[in-house]
Amino acid sequence: MTSDGVNPMRRKFLTAATCALGAAGAVGVAVPFLGSWNPSAKAKAAGAPVKFDFGKLEPGQMSVVEWRGMPVYVLNRTVTQLEGLPGLNAQLKDPDSLNIAQQPPYISGIDRSIKPELLVVVGLCTHLGCAPKFIPEVGVENLGGAAWVGGFFCPCHGSKFDLSGRVYAGVPASANLLVPPYSFEGDAVLVVGVNPEGV
Amino acid sequence: MSKVLIGLRDWVDERLPIVKAWDTHMGKYYAPKNFNFWYFFGVLALLILVNQLLTGIWLTMSYTPTQEGAFASVEYIMRDVDYGWILRYMHSTGASAFFVVIYLHMFRALIYGSYKKPRELIWIFGMLIFVVLMAEAFVGYVLPWGQMSYWGAQVIISLFGAIPGVGESIVTWIRGDYLISGITLNRFFALHVVALPIILLALVVLHLLALHEVGSNNPDGVDIKKYKDKDGVPLDGVAFHPYYTVHDLQAIGVFLFIFCGIIFFMPEMGGYFLEFANFEQANNLKTPEHIAPVWYFTPFYSVLRAVPDKFWGFIAFAASVAIPFILPWLDRSPVRSWRYRGNITKVMLVLFVSSFLILGVLGVWAPTDGRTMLARICSVIYFAFFLLMPIWTSIDRTKPVPDRITTDGGIGFWGSMGGLLLILVLAALPLKAVAAAGEYKCGAIPCDEFVANPHDKASLQSGAQMYMNYCLACHSLQYSRYNRVAADLGIPEELFQANLIFDPDVKIGSLMTNAMDKGDAKDWFGATPPDLTLVSRSKQPEWLYTYLRSFYKDDTRPYGFNNMVFKDVGMPHVLLELQGMQECAPGPVVANNGGVKRDPLTGEDILENPCGNFEILVAGEMTPQEFDGAVYDLVNFLAYVAEPMAVDRQRIGMYVLLFIALFTVFASLLNREYWKDVH
Repeated sequence: MTSDGVNPMRRKFLTAATCALGAAGAVGVAVPFLGSWNPSAKAKAAGAPVKFDFGKLEPGQMSVVEWRGMPVYVLNRTVTQLEGLPGLNAQLKDPDSLNIAQQPPYISGIDRSIKPELLVVVGLCTHLGCAPKFIPEVGVENLGGAAWVGGFFCPCHGSKFDLSGRVYAGVPASANLLVPPYSFEGDAVLVVGVNPEGV
Repeated sequence: MSKVLIGLRDWVDERLPIVKAWDTHMGKYYAPKNFNFWYFFGVLALLILVNQLLTGIWLTMSYTPTQEGAFASVEYIMRDVDYGWILRYMHSTGASAFFVVIYLHMFRALIYGSYKKPRELIWIFGMLIFVVLMAEAFVGYVLPWGQMSYWGAQVIISLFGAIPGVGESIVTWIRGDYLISGITLNRFFALHVVALPIILLALVVLHLLALHEVGSNNPDGVDIKKYKDKDGVPLDGVAFHPYYTVHDLQAIGVFLFIFCGIIFFMPEMGGYFLEFANFEQANNLKTPEHIAPVWYFTPFYSVLRAVPDKFWGFIAFAASVAIPFILPWLDRSPVRSWRYRGNITKVMLVLFVSSFLILGVLGVWAPTDGRTMLARICSVIYFAFFLLMPIWTSIDRTKPVPDRITTDGGIGFWGSMGGLLLILVLAALPLKAVAAAGEYKCGAIPCDEFVANPHDKASLQSGAQMYMNYCLACHSLQYSRYNRVAADLGIPEELFQANLIFDPDVKIGSLMTNAMDKGDAKDWFGATPPDLTLVSRSKQPEWLYTYLRSFYKDDTRPYGFNNMVFKDVGMPHVLLELQGMQECAPGPVVANNGGVKRDPLTGEDILENPCGNFEILVAGEMTPQEFDGAVYDLVNFLAYVAEPMAVDRQRIGMYVLLFIALFTVFASLLNREYWKDVH
């Protein structure tokens, strides 16, 4: 072996350049492997926005819509039910919906809705994911008696939510029920999974 | 930082000999410094193995190994999984590339005597790898559950039926059923993704350990360990790392350029890497017209077909695969490399390779008498090469082998090209003699030319509209989604939903199925109208284009129509109102040489076929030119639906190839820089 004509700088540069290109190539190769783990077109189609004609809902009536495999509760609240909401604030963990992770930015306050009467929440308890029961009756005995003005009760671990999906104090769940992104088409069609225009 | 790393290395090394392992296999593994072109294929095989393992693991994440779901899940990977088509094409192209590389790797061993003492075990392990690889490729080919998967498996598994006495029981046992079914598919899946890869990896490790124990052979076939310097380093050896790592890097660049060229620009490789008929789902009641194994099995398949007996055909087939195992003991020559052997060796090598190539090509073609005879001759040459080797290697003259390696030995680039040319000519001439088949690809007439243009959005849109109006009622496109078609064709989803989806309950993200009941359809048409998502890949677009324009009046048929391309087809002439009614007219015929038969004097076509052309009997809504244009759009749309990623594929491919070219330039500069030490 001879070392004539060896240029260490040139060798160093070429080694570095080839390694850099090789690394870039490896990143490129990784793209399809990582990308293929994203939701496929099938999953996206199954998770596509869901339309629901809520014109059929009587005041006080609730319907369950399936969106991305989750139950979405759509409740047409009566005026009485809406008027009762502010009075519960003292018994709740997050009465003013300050935990912004639990609703899109266009949902806030006590109503937690776009149209005041129409509540749209994901029907999965924020404690450990059971589906809470809708119990609209007032004064149910083992839910606090006269203090109960209607709401959601989770049978798994006893968490309670009011008719805005706000969590009560003193129960295992720590956050209000999740409000999914939603918007309206015309007056009576609810679209779950799509934000209102301009948001 | 580097101090920490060195500390970590030493910590591990005290507990696990990583430095020693590195030195044994890379840093102080001394390989002869005269490696040539033929020595690239080992590392390339390793590269492909890694590619197959990685893409294979990723494919299993979306593949469904059931009779009901397998075919659809492959199309799901191709269409619905992000980048799924790249992974699948990498895997399917990798399978063929594996065999290309392995065959060349074996040829290298053959010409330089790399199997001779003391490398017999390396050869045995290599042959085991080859056999396991064939098994792996065979069971893997069944998994997409297409027609070729099914009928290929049928043929190969039936081979075991040739074993006297227990044959049929073995066949049933392998299938786990009375026919090839989901049960067979399940066990083949387990073998393909778990059992065989483990065996393959173990064999590769053994192959490399055995190689690194005795050291690499070289084109001169001389032992480099005879002359060492004071440190015990062979005078004619160079450390594998860095010299051969940078050397191989440029080969990897060139290989990847070709490999990606195929993946991104011709993934079917003209039907040789992905057979057209395999784009049709397995059907146990209908054999494709012509079953050919994938190209890498065809030489052995030809041997099988050449023997006019089931049992002996099976024996010959098995023997043709197995006989190279004993090569180290068949070769009696005192020298390794062909460079120092006589003319007999050279003649035998050329004859052997030519015969092997001829057998390979014949295995793809349908058999005729002439072809079978040629296959027999070549099979005899194939076996004679091995069986008579003890004789011809003993009597062949040898030249004195140099003491040290040479760097100017061999026949050089042009000599090699000459040898290649000789082999190709020797293979091509006999093949040409038996080639002429004189068959049209479109039934009774030649196919009209068709070139799909996936960039022509206007054509695709009008084709889609035509499909929705005339075809979708009977023919679903069940692997394709409405929203994908809308997006790719540049049609707004609302417009698409309003004008092209006739069922208001169908969502834009749904698969394009249709409501026709399969049983009713069978009653009405005599056959269930097939799904057409992949028809342009299984039948090819020029066939479709010709077929759709070749309905003619035939009062003997139930609907009053027949078709020139697809005789007695069950489909009615749905485009009748557009095309008008056609009637037979005299047309040209095929000559014996495969071309159109023409009058030798005037050069005009001889119109001997009573129904080789058409006359319009009753005009339709469109002129013939308008109608051809409309059918072009329809077929263009079908070609798009069959491979909706074609445009992406080519666009990404351009960048990939440019990048690999750049990498190869740097790798070869780096290689030149390092090898200055050696030359």
